[in-house]
Amino acid sequence: MRNSAVATASVGKTRGKFWRLLPQAILVYLLLALLTVFMIGPYLFIFSAAFKETYTLVSIPPKLIPDHPTLENFRNIFSNMPFGRWFINSTIVSTLSTLGTLIVCAMAGYTFAKKEFVGKQAVFAVLMATLMIPGALMLVPAFLVTNSLHLVNTYGGLILPGIGGAMGVFLLRQFIETLPSELEQAAAIDGCSEFGIFWRIILPLSKPGLTTLAILSFTGSWNSLIWPLVVVNSKALYTLPLGLALLRTEFQVNYGATSAAAIVSVVPLVIAFAFLQRYFIEGLTIGAIKG
Amino acid sequence: MSVAAESSERHTNGSDVPLPVRKSTSGALALRRNLVAYAFLSPFLILFVVFTAIPFFWALWLSLQSGLLAGPKTYVGFQNFANLPRDSITRTVFFNTVKYVAIIVPIAVLSALGLAFLITNRLVRGRDFFRALVYFPILAAPAAAAQIWSYLLAPKFGLVSYMLSAVGLPDVYFLSDPKIAILAIALIEWWRGIGFHVILFIAALIGIPAEMKEAAIIDGANGWQVATRVTIPLMRPVILFSIVMCTIWSFQLFDTVFVLTQGGPMYSTATMVWYVYNYAFRYSQLGMAAAMGVVLLLVIAPISFIQMRVLGKGVEYA
Repeated sequence: MRNSAVATASVGKTRGKFWRLLPQAILVYLLLALLTVFMIGPYLFIFSAAFKETYTLVSIPPKLIPDHPTLENFRNIFSNMPFGRWFINSTIVSTLSTLGTLIVCAMAGYTFAKKEFVGKQAVFAVLMATLMIPGALMLVPAFLVTNSLHLVNTYGGLILPGIGGAMGVFLLRQFIETLPSELEQAAAIDGCSEFGIFWRIILPLSKPGLTTLAILSFTGSWNSLIWPLVVVNSKALYTLPLGLALLRTEFQVNYGATSAAAIVSVVPLVIAFAFLQRYFIEGLTIGAIKG
Repeated sequence: MSVAAESSERHTNGSDVPLPVRKSTSGALALRRNLVAYAFLSPFLILFVVFTAIPFFWALWLSLQSGLLAGPKTYVGFQNFANLPRDSITRTVFFNTVKYVAIIVPIAVLSALGLAFLITNRLVRGRDFFRALVYFPILAAPAAAAQIWSYLLAPKFGLVSYMLSAVGLPDVYFLSDPKIAILAIALIEWWRGIGFHVILFIAALIGIPAEMKEAAIIDGANGWQVATRVTIPLMRPVILFSIVMCTIWSFQLFDTVFVLTQGGPMYSTATMVWYVYNYAFRYSQLGMAAAMGVVLLLVIAPISFIQMRVLGKGVEYA
């Protein structure tokens, strides 16, 4: 079968090849069209729902385009409930815990990659072992630790436990190991301090690794629900996922409001994805080891 | 590693430090080097000890205690673990979680494999577009995905209900029917999570040398045979990785359930993590929550161990 195909092609009858592949091509693109609808359809439908009026939301059959597009749902979430505040909270918490994670993990990753010290293997092995621990096991004691530090219901309680993580150290160690040691040595000869070498040589060269970790850390924090759920109970300190989760129980709202809220919460990540797609996809496999 | 060995290693690195004449200088250097290393590690280590190491051992200790979240606790030995199988909710929760894992893992991995083959089909142009496409749902927070689907799955006026009625099927109460709810949750998790596996498999498929497939074709293999006898066996490490990740995540299902069903109806979507959260923070049964956490650890840790071994070998094509 295949041999005849090769023969046909070699004779140059591309028309024959075209007709032979056409059914397969139609099937393939049909399936891809289905996939496309299934993957972005829910987003588009919710995007449209965010602009629907109350009666269009529950119309049967469902309308894909609202009759009279309205901004009422957005007005509702931003002025009748502290959604803007939650957005700012999420921005603060995710930004600070990402910056903290980058600095702390870069310093640790650099040390594991380039320095020799007593207990190096043992400490690293312990870090890697913690990747096997499910988050739920730590939920209660992490809350109790945070409570004894008087950080429950504070930004500190939302941010500090999110800083660090063995996964970040692993990622940056892998990256920094590939940097040539000659640069550090040259800097040391020029009288650069230990921290200066890290800050002025290693960090600038680690940008790709840092970008990947920043995306992992930021999206992880931006989307996290269970930790904010246990550590915060004042509405003024809710983050977006927490607000989204409790929106309907606490505010008696319709699907228009939940749709608008879901859209607003995803938009920042979609924008970041548009610009940094390569790092998002790279981080996917590495981030997986966080478990 | 001895101090002397360490310092000599440093010198062979071509460092600028002049060779120490006296042994005490070499010792001082090694000390300084260790101090510098631990100074760099300290911010990480402090956070690690406070928010990972202490909570880990505290969690084990809590599982042997009984009491309230805030208040005195009493040591009860392994009583909590003995009580777990006696409690009907615990049994339900464990059964639900295992059932959910058994449903989602084969479906996710197989469908992802199919989609990866589809996207890397030689007739397809714009592979990068489809890779971005399957990543898109990953961007949504589980809580956001839950809200998105709660409208799509709403009875009567929801889009899915409408589509069912359009083809003559009866309306389904996706989230309030105890038999269906866990499947609805699985559907949402599939939508949000499938991209991970597809992207992994696409990378693996692209990485397989074309000569190997061509050789099989020359030997007279058809497309199906090439896939099942050449391509898929070569992808085994990636497939194993994907199965392991999917299993680990699925055992920890919580967010979607919390937002959409609160574990209901009739505990049909109550999962192990749901149990930990509710028993600790709602029902004031701290010891039982901690014991369930330990059970989860005993399930996850061995699976994670396989994952680390796979990762240690390097997932060749990912």
